[in-house]
Amino acid sequence: MEMERIDSQEALDQLAREFRYIITDIMCRAGGGHIGGSLSLVEIIITLYFRIMNLKPDEPRWQDRDRFILSKGHAGPTLYTALAYRGFFPKDVLLTLNANGTQLPSHVDQVITPGVDQTAGSLGQGLSCANGIALACKLAKRSNTVFCVVGDGESQEGQIWEAAMFAAHHKLDNLVVITDYNKMQIDAEVEKIVSLEPVVDKWRSFGWEVFEMDGHDWDDIYNTLNKAMAVKDKPAMIVAHTVKAKGNVCYENRIECHFISIPDENERQRVIGGVCAAGEEGPFEFNWTEGKQE
Amino acid sequence: MTLHEKELRAVYTDTLIELMTENSKVVCLEADLGKSSGTVPRVWEAFPDRFFDVGVAEANMIGISAGLANEGMIPFCATFTPFATRRAYDQITISIAYAENPVKIVGTAPGITTAKNGATHMCFQDLAIMRAMPNMRVYCPADVYELRAVVRYMAASKKPEYMQLIREVHAPIFDEDYEFDPLKARVLDEGSDVTLVTTGLTTQFARKAVAELKQEGILAEHIHYPSVKPFDVETLLSSVKKTNAVVTAENQNVIGGLGGAVCEVLAENYPAKVKRLGAQDRFGEVGDVPYLSATLGFSANDIAAACREMKATA
Repeated sequence: MEMERIDSQEALDQLAREFRYIITDIMCRAGGGHIGGSLSLVEIIITLYFRIMNLKPDEPRWQDRDRFILSKGHAGPTLYTALAYRGFFPKDVLLTLNANGTQLPSHVDQVITPGVDQTAGSLGQGLSCANGIALACKLAKRSNTVFCVVGDGESQEGQIWEAAMFAAHHKLDNLVVITDYNKMQIDAEVEKIVSLEPVVDKWRSFGWEVFEMDGHDWDDIYNTLNKAMAVKDKPAMIVAHTVKAKGNVCYENRIECHFISIPDENERQRVIGGVCAAGEEGPFEFNWTEGKQE
Repeated sequence: MTLHEKELRAVYTDTLIELMTENSKVVCLEADLGKSSGTVPRVWEAFPDRFFDVGVAEANMIGISAGLANEGMIPFCATFTPFATRRAYDQITISIAYAENPVKIVGTAPGITTAKNGATHMCFQDLAIMRAMPNMRVYCPADVYELRAVVRYMAASKKPEYMQLIREVHAPIFDEDYEFDPLKARVLDEGSDVTLVTTGLTTQFARKAVAELKQEGILAEHIHYPSVKPFDVETLLSSVKKTNAVVTAENQNVIGGLGGAVCEVLAENYPAKVKRLGAQDRFGEVGDVPYLSATLGFSANDIAAACREMKATA
């Protein structure tokens, strides 16, 4: 399936609204989920999957495709929504998030989900895997790009910095990494737990080309990704300033948004209302019946 | 020089160089112990583009290997056994075994063969913890011929695998024709008095014990397990049905490794009395191999004594 690139601000905004509704809805139906770190990545993942990455949804393991490693694997629901919209599997499969026997588990799984390039979820591991994937692509002389998203809390793992040293040493310029810097982790703000600052200087001192962007601004994301992909002889890090649970007023930028539980219908209505109310276009509801594909 | 006059690590390196020559997908990784594995400088010099020394960063080595395997490469990554297994256990579990990325992990200097490095480097639980991991296979070759066959088998297999690599020269047990099959244990001596089960280093020790017992008229059936997982159940059961007495010996803690595997199989299929030799739930210490094997209770003398005792009580 050829991708129709989505470049208009209006269409991108509409897609983001749909994503936020769907992510919230499928988590609510599943009884809960990692809403904060999923919603903070909506614009970044949409930009990658609808404006940047070269993929063949009917051939998920196509060798020359761009790769995407979601090292903060708990943001799976955002990736799954992108994969469904790109045609890797029917949209109604999204409704099975975390259901018994599902192919969409809370943390991403390369074995059971078409389009997931690397299993992740035990934090700190995905960037090392991305190193290996980028190395293999270089050995095979491919001209593709390996994208990887790490969390800010995840960056407290020592393995991230082992991988940072290795990628710079081996000049992995086919590797573009994004830090989802939403400034919050499970227990409290990152600044209150163990600060990453000065995070830009840290990555730069590790030998990376470092950019910063507003992780919710379409033009900034698109332009910064293109700049990062053009870097030669160094891996690129983009520190993306994001808002945790962006777009759901019940949870946006609240510390309790990392993982939410939906115990009953009242809470479900409240949380769904949070994402509908956030749209400037008024209440939005995704029609699952229309979204169903054969 | 014949093959069995070489150190096992030299044969590991020779075999890896052969494989890398034959197949451009084979890559070699080290974590600053390549001189100990034998791959530095030889593999590095022969294949500078497919040799990666990640430095002292085992978790990263495991992740990089997982990514390479994910892309269809065949990574062999090696370091000392404790760092190759327990140091990066969650990385191996998730990035390799759960993700089904067929990485080949090599743990060098297993158990007491790390000798003067002492307790910090003396891993007695790698067989147990690697065996407990779904999707992981666990091999312990006992001589150069078997080692070469196991390494070649691993390069061809699509499974995540772990192999213990003894570094030193050891007496030949097999020959050039040896073929490795993980589901085929090797009966090295036939006997009806006691079943003696060993793997890796203790197979070497047991050869001496079996010869000594034979002179006393005790016939031990000595079975060597090159693969602790998967485990050849049939060979064990058919032997124990003759002997009704079992001694296991391993260069490991007695909990969860080879002895554990034997007890699990027998408890479910053919209950029999088992004596497990190995470190008795204790850490190691500095020393040479003869001292350590005697102190920990799995030397040739200990193996012979346990066989005598089990025959007497059978």
